[in-house]
Amino acid sequence: MYGWIWRHLPGNAWVRAFISLILALAVVYALFEYVFPWAEPLLPFNDVTVDDAQGAHR
Amino acid sequence: MRSSIESDRTDGAGSVAATKTQDRTGEESVTAPRRRKRGIIATTVGVFGELLITAGVVLGLFVAYSLWWTNVVADREAGKQGDAVRDRWAGGPGALDTKDGVGFLHVPAMKNGEVLVKKGTEGSILNKGVAGYYTDPVKSALPSDDKGNFTLAAHRDGHGAKFHNIDKIKKGDPIVFETKDSWYVYKTFAILPETSKYNVEVLDAVPKESGAEKPGRYITLTTCTPVYTSDYRYIVWGELDRVEKVDNQRTPPAELG
Repeated sequence: MYGWIWRHLPGNAWVRAFISLILALAVVYALFEYVFPWAEPLLPFNDVTVDDAQGAHR
Repeated sequence: MRSSIESDRTDGAGSVAATKTQDRTGEESVTAPRRRKRGIIATTVGVFGELLITAGVVLGLFVAYSLWWTNVVADREAGKQGDAVRDRWAGGPGALDTKDGVGFLHVPAMKNGEVLVKKGTEGSILNKGVAGYYTDPVKSALPSDDKGNFTLAAHRDGHGAKFHNIDKIKKGDPIVFETKDSWYVYKTFAILPETSKYNVEVLDAVPKESGAEKPGRYITLTTCTPVYTSDYRYIVWGELDRVEKVDNQRTPPAELG
């Protein structure tokens, strides 16, 4: 998978390494900015309020 | 390896070599697709392994996000909102003002400075590094009310972690709530280190579980416990000790000295 990406990147090894770094940073940014904020309320790690059993307002 | 054995054997008689060649071509036609199939399996396993590594890295990033990044974002946001409220209060003491928050919570035992308090306990509010007072399932009273329970919630970890050190509060410790015109000084009188997350009775106007029996002016802090999870809730109750008027210098009460 990563090998396939590497083979399809243009340029020499340095250019490829640079593009890879940019791609990795872009993925991390997307995770922190969009994916994790979306996923967090769905996971039971950070509810702090006491609630009715139905949890209607959450 | 096989080819070297074969070449050894083909060193023998010519007739043997001839049959061997035939044999070899026949063998090759069998080996080639088998080799390609093995290649597919190897590639599949390789991609699967890469996916597993990726999943591990993503989970690690999620931990970093939850415990570090949300704090960075929330503290920045809370600082901005707190400054906005302070700016509006700069004119001196005045009537209760609930626009961006009702006031600041100071709990010296938690050693985290002041916590802005806003209305509501939805994630969208608490995630900005503030404490919220309950509107649901039990509506909170305000400190200025004659009787009632001022009930607050904030995060234990991540998103500012404003109640992270709630376990450092001991009985008798002061909990001070600052509004535009008053300092409400509460004294901690009961702690419930672990209760069900469905135990909404802790928010009652007279929270029986704390030992309180008659209507009074109470404050309730709720957050999750144990740290890093939210299986249970940690509750701290305080009762109003006295109210001090805010002076022009906003001199804090002795408890915050």
